[in-house]
Amino acid sequence: MISFDYVPVDDLRAASAAGAHAHTRFIAGGTTLVDLMRLGVERPTTVIDLNVLARKDASLTAVSDLPDGRLRLGALAHMSDVAWDRRVRDRYALVSEALLLAASGQVRNMATIGGNVLQRTRCPYFRDVTQACNKRVPGSGCGAIAGRNREQAILGTSEQCIATHPSDLAVALAALDAHVHVRGTSGERVIPFTRLHVVPDAHPDRETVLRPGDVITAIDLPSGIPARSTYLKVRDRASFAFALASAAVALDVSGGTIRAARVALGGVGTKPWRSPEAERALVGKAANDAAFHAAAEAALAEARPHRDNAFKVELAKRTLVRALTEVSA
Amino acid sequence: MHDLRTAGATPPFPAAPPPPTAGDPAPDFELVANGTATRLSSLRGSPVVLVLHNPEWDPARREQIDAFNRLLASLPAAAEQRLITVGAAHPWLELEFDTSRVALPVIRDDDGSIAQAYGVHDTPAVFVIDERGIVRWTHMGRTPPREGDIIAALTSFAARDEPRSSSWNRREFIATVLGVAASLTISPRLAVAERIAAASTAPGAARAVTLNVNGRQLRLTLEPRVSLLDALREYAGLTGTKKGCDHGQCGACTVHVDGRRTLSCLTFAMMHEGQQITTIEGLAASAGTSGNTLHPMQQAFIKHDGFQCGYCTPGQIMSASAMIHEPWGAADSDVREAMSGNICRCGAYPGIVAAIQEVRANAADGEHGQ
Ligand SMILES: Cc1cc2nc3c(=O)[nH]c(=O)nc-3n(C[C@H](O)[C@H](O)[C@H](O)COP(=O)(O)OP(=O)(O)OC[C@H]3O[C@@H](n4cnc5c(N)ncnc54)[C@H](O)[C@@H]3O)c2cc1C
Ligand code: SF4
Ligand code: FES
Ligand code: FES
Repeated sequence: MISFDYVPVDDLRAASAAGAHAHTRFIAGGTTLVDLMRLGVERPTTVIDLNVLARKDASLTAVSDLPDGRLRLGALAHMSDVAWDRRVRDRYALVSEALLLAASGQVRNMATIGGNVLQRTRCPYFRDVTQACNKRVPGSGCGAIAGRNREQAILGTSEQCIATHPSDLAVALAALDAHVHVRGTSGERVIPFTRLHVVPDAHPDRETVLRPGDVITAIDLPSGIPARSTYLKVRDRASFAFALASAAVALDVSGGTIRAARVALGGVGTKPWRSPEAERALVGKAANDAAFHAAAEAALAEARPHRDNAFKVELAKRTLVRALTEVSA
Repeated sequence: MHDLRTAGATPPFPAAPPPPTAGDPAPDFELVANGTATRLSSLRGSPVVLVLHNPEWDPARREQIDAFNRLLASLPAAAEQRLITVGAAHPWLELEFDTSRVALPVIRDDDGSIAQAYGVHDTPAVFVIDERGIVRWTHMGRTPPREGDIIAALTSFAARDEPRSSSWNRREFIATVLGVAASLTISPRLAVAERIAAASTAPGAARAVTLNVNGRQLRLTLEPRVSLLDALREYAGLTGTKKGCDHGQCGACTVHVDGRRTLSCLTFAMMHEGQQITTIEGLAASAGTSGNTLHPMQQAFIKHDGFQCGYCTPGQIMSASAMIHEPWGAADSDVREAMSGNICRCGAYPGIVAAIQEVRANAADGEHGQ
């Protein structure tokens, strides 16, 4: 690993200012950053530690009720603490489940909410510095498009990159219409979660709308979301693996009719994949198999599989149908 | 085995140069063996293949010996002889790998200066340097280069420069190259840290760090890039914590930080000043057991055969002893899910689950009894 300057900060404004410099990275839990630095994929010359700040300012690690019924997750709260929080479990089951189905007990104890949504793809070509990858080295080509692409995305892909966004939590947050609080060099702003990430298009190295120096400070979960929700994750082994396909769904069903629906897919998109198409196919319909299948067809209508991942189209459909069935049972 | 060390004036550490690429002059360095100094530049006239690898990429490993042997098999017998004599002509110690006739000199780069000069860090690298000291071909990455690629690289300039280079024919030329191939081990640990501490204005410089480990204050001199795992194992001498994958995927490196199970490989040691770190060496004491008494989880692992080779065991026990304080359900399936970050290659899982369930049951009885 290359040598770097370690800068602990205890002030948000200072963090933002320091983070705006080139070749600089924030470190929270370190479970993405240290991994990628050791692989030589990330090569920052300065690493800014946000943990000192987190210890000083409790709001950054807290889960707190807002007066209007929303729930605020401090960006530096650990995945495990948020997952086990009573309010999260009771009111946002899909968030708690997405967190508990991700990574391992140890990783969840270290990793933070903010770091989780900014984690990088697990594309094997991205992680191997000897391979071509437009995301890592713009213009170098994409090893995955012509190579092994079983785990890659089928939605939101481009000619430049087909990497899957790996976060489970982000899928739940996309379904919920969460909001992200950001503190940058020119002040604070709030970004709708579904607009935080961008699809690769011609610039796969750009993954979010964040600017240098932006620190995520909190993520707000809205009030009034459908009462029943779930996160269903399908993977190669029973635990401790990334999703091949996943679905975050929330449904309001009364008198057998779907009044409101939230649907997002994971493991298949280049960003956390909210599906308004599936939601439109559900709302106003009777909560039954036919509606669920129609929603699945709508969600995957634009899927563009590659050589090894055509199976994901059907897998994602079945995952969504099962999640909808479970949540309306 | 390795009594060769680099020496000589080495510049202060930071601001690593990028690795040389084809056409760049190969950075010079000095090797001292048995009191005799040799510089890379003194080998001008014969090409050199430099192989830099970290301790994990072990040249004594079977598949790497095989690769070199296959390489040699593609050369004529005369070349093989040449190979041995070339190696012996230099004051470098040679290593005989098992029964093979290949003698690969292995030089340790303990203070990291050669790796530094070549811009190499964690990833193994191969540099083909021609007889005039110019880098002709490079390969960096975890996957070793194919022998064919090295031969092709050598042949390309050997063929072109043949008339001028020497009186050897082309095949001998290649064999010679292999003979002086030096396999440098990159292990920039203590020596590097100390040297950087001396020149400490530099970014990334090592500095004094105090870690509270198993109730003791340990004062270590560490660079920022030293993981908590390496700090424990390489600097504090606490080798109970194991390195499996170094990427968060196996759980072998699990320790407690302020009572929470944490992967010591995915965090920098410097980030943990002021926190309580517990390793397997201090687990029993942390639970208040005294003398030679083991922690209940250690005892349960022994009773239920929760291990075979034992490599994953410190991590399993550290993970298990923290997991029992987390709000998991009571079923075996809950234990398996909670422990899924600890991989056991020997498959001792049934014993591990039984051990954990016994400790949890005893703890619950204790609580009810109070
Ligand atoms: C073995 C393994 C398995 C895993 N499996 C899963 C899985 O199944 N599902 C899943 O969802 N995830 C999985 N993960 C990923 C894991 O969840 C992420 O690595 C983790 O959530 C990242 O959080 P962190 O706090 O450790 O981030 P860091 O590594 O500290 O940071 C990640 C990135 O975000 C930036 N950053 C961090 N915090 C902020 C902030 N507040 N503001 C601005 N920038 C910030 C950093 O600069 C860095 O670029 C796995 C990881 C490992 C190692
Ligand atoms: S899919 Fe994206 S991340 Fe993977 S190799 Fe191609 S460009 Fe890189
Ligand atoms: S060595 Fe840390 S998880 Fe494998
Ligand atoms: S006992 Fe051998 S790896 Fe677990």
